[in-house]
Amino acid sequence: MVRKITRTLLASCGLAALLGGNAWADQTVNFWYHFDSPENVSIMNDLVKTFESKNAGIKINAENIPWNNYYDKLFTSIVGGKAPDVAMVKLAQQPQLLEMDALEPVGSRLANWPGKADLGNNLLDISKASDGNQYYLPLQYVVVYLYYRADLFSAAKLNPPATCEEFLEAAKKLTVPASANNGVEQFGFGMRGGKGGYDNWGPFVLSQSAFEPGGLKSAKAVAANGWYVDLFRKQKVVPPSAPNDGFNEIISTFKSGRTAMIFHHVGSAKTLVDAFGDKVSAVPAPSCNGGRWTSFGDESTALFKSSKAKDAGWKWMAFLSEADNNVKFVQATGQMTVTKSGASKMTFPERFVKATENSLPFAKPLPAVPQSADFVNTVWPVNMQRALNGEITPAQMMEALDSHFYK
Amino acid sequence: MSAQSDVRRTPYILLSPAIIATLVVVFYPMLQAGITSLYRSILWKPKDVAFIGLDNYFAILHDPVFWDSLGRTAIWIGLTVPLQLALGFVTALLLNRNFWWRPLARSLILIPWALPSVVIGLMWSWIYHPQVGVLNDLLMRCGMLQSAMPWLANPDTALYAIIAALVWQGFPFFAIMILAGLQTIPGNLYEAASIDGATTWQKFLGITLPGLKGVLVTAVMLRIIWVANSMDVIYVMTGGGPGYATHTLPLYAFKRTYSSMDFGYGSALAVTFSLVLLVLITIYLRRVGKDMK
Repeated sequence: MVRKITRTLLASCGLAALLGGNAWADQTVNFWYHFDSPENVSIMNDLVKTFESKNAGIKINAENIPWNNYYDKLFTSIVGGKAPDVAMVKLAQQPQLLEMDALEPVGSRLANWPGKADLGNNLLDISKASDGNQYYLPLQYVVVYLYYRADLFSAAKLNPPATCEEFLEAAKKLTVPASANNGVEQFGFGMRGGKGGYDNWGPFVLSQSAFEPGGLKSAKAVAANGWYVDLFRKQKVVPPSAPNDGFNEIISTFKSGRTAMIFHHVGSAKTLVDAFGDKVSAVPAPSCNGGRWTSFGDESTALFKSSKAKDAGWKWMAFLSEADNNVKFVQATGQMTVTKSGASKMTFPERFVKATENSLPFAKPLPAVPQSADFVNTVWPVNMQRALNGEITPAQMMEALDSHFYK
Repeated sequence: MSAQSDVRRTPYILLSPAIIATLVVVFYPMLQAGITSLYRSILWKPKDVAFIGLDNYFAILHDPVFWDSLGRTAIWIGLTVPLQLALGFVTALLLNRNFWWRPLARSLILIPWALPSVVIGLMWSWIYHPQVGVLNDLLMRCGMLQSAMPWLANPDTALYAIIAALVWQGFPFFAIMILAGLQTIPGNLYEAASIDGATTWQKFLGITLPGLKGVLVTAVMLRIIWVANSMDVIYVMTGGGPGYATHTLPLYAFKRTYSSMDFGYGSALAVTFSLVLLVLITIYLRRVGKDMK
């Protein structure tokens, strides 16, 4: 009887081990991403299918999270112990994710990954954390540059601006009242005073400031901010809606022919070429008093410490950053591939790729400190809008920004 | 077990699912918000979470944005609800008359109420847009404006522009409630008043308004609560800007909680606002609804 029970127990244990073994082999990677356009989700589905066919036993559960709530959901999921295994992340959030002890270092995995050599120059250095470890694997990038209406510039006998002074001169000349423009009021510059507009403001002000205590409220920085605020208040070369204008507003007014210059990245190239063809072109952000700055917009993937499928998660991250897969991925987002071999396969018109490449030498992300995220979301828009409407002076705005970073 | 005790127990058994659901879905989060408000709790600083008693509440007292937002919330409720009520009342009186397309009019009137707030916010943002918006275009064509007005970008007009959008969204609620109330007033009261020589205005004051009191008190109370808590239209139209010009208290609490990830302070703002609203509703019911059973 005892022998029979022992045999049954052993058989049960063997079966359990076998089942357990299968369960281990079939891993699911929960992946969070954000695509602006829902039609592009099919591109992600294709990538998942390709990956799963090459990696039997790994299932990718890819979830498109709306951008507006992306980081709220990510942060609350981490605190609630329900973080995804892998997610798309930006550099601005890296210090906060590190503070939460949420990220898994990927340095040793990266060292053994054959795709490493194909990653674009400096991208790994830029995404390295302040503690010297590598947590992020670059996925795509963009650099903000200046779109301009080549036909309007040519008619006004202007060259695309290379300096602040030339920018102001062009903005003034291309601001035309409705009475002199077939009933359509035209402005030289589509200023983005609302959320996300710091990368329009940065080329004029951060080019003359420094991210160090007092660096944002130096006399030079304050004067630069006053110059920028005056584009709205004194020069009146921007639409009166500028304090509230976000991405949709600046793009729609540019597309409707009511502004002559806007800042954005290669992600808007297709829609603007569809609207204007060769009449729209791009140049790097102008230099101001010898300084030059533009925003380096990054996007990486990160592996989370809480993941129970780290090896499978890494395989998926690596897959997305490999040449052809990465080119396919950026088709959905309209951004630049991170691989050298994929760069030649990009389908953007050359003038926009050139504007991106020529901007890279002076493109920088915001400082890798926890305050950067709140600066982008709240502190910059509120203070910029108040300065544009005259509720605070440009100096008080810079004082507020400086104390946000260095109080 | 007697049949009498079964009868006594039945209401409790029948009510228990609703009570349990309310406890779990409403009271537990409220309690949690109250507890969180006593902590320094910034979401991305889990190691820094600490009990700080009422410090968040003391900080609120010294926060100028809180007081500005409170003032704006008073304007927000004080203008939106009466305007919705007035417009809804007039609409209900019109819809209570006989005309051949009344059924169609009753359906059309519901459209603003049936639209999602996000759609309304986006629609009105484009209506107000200085470059491509229809409002400026119309006003300029009529000669009422010389140049386009940035309704939402100007801190002096932004809040009122959003209030106008919310009045448009909310008046059908009053119209339908009041219309339902109007149809419960017996027609012979009006006939008797006519025989006695009452004017239309006297009939309105003596019959219609008292007959609608119950409906009006309830509808106004519900709208005060909904409008006070409503921030989706503001969020879509201006995000609280320009600057703080359209920050109401619920929006400020939301932004402190989710944009700045400051859950402790955001919860304290939410709790404070709930208490303010509770006091307001209590005063309202005591003064306006005192004769009601």
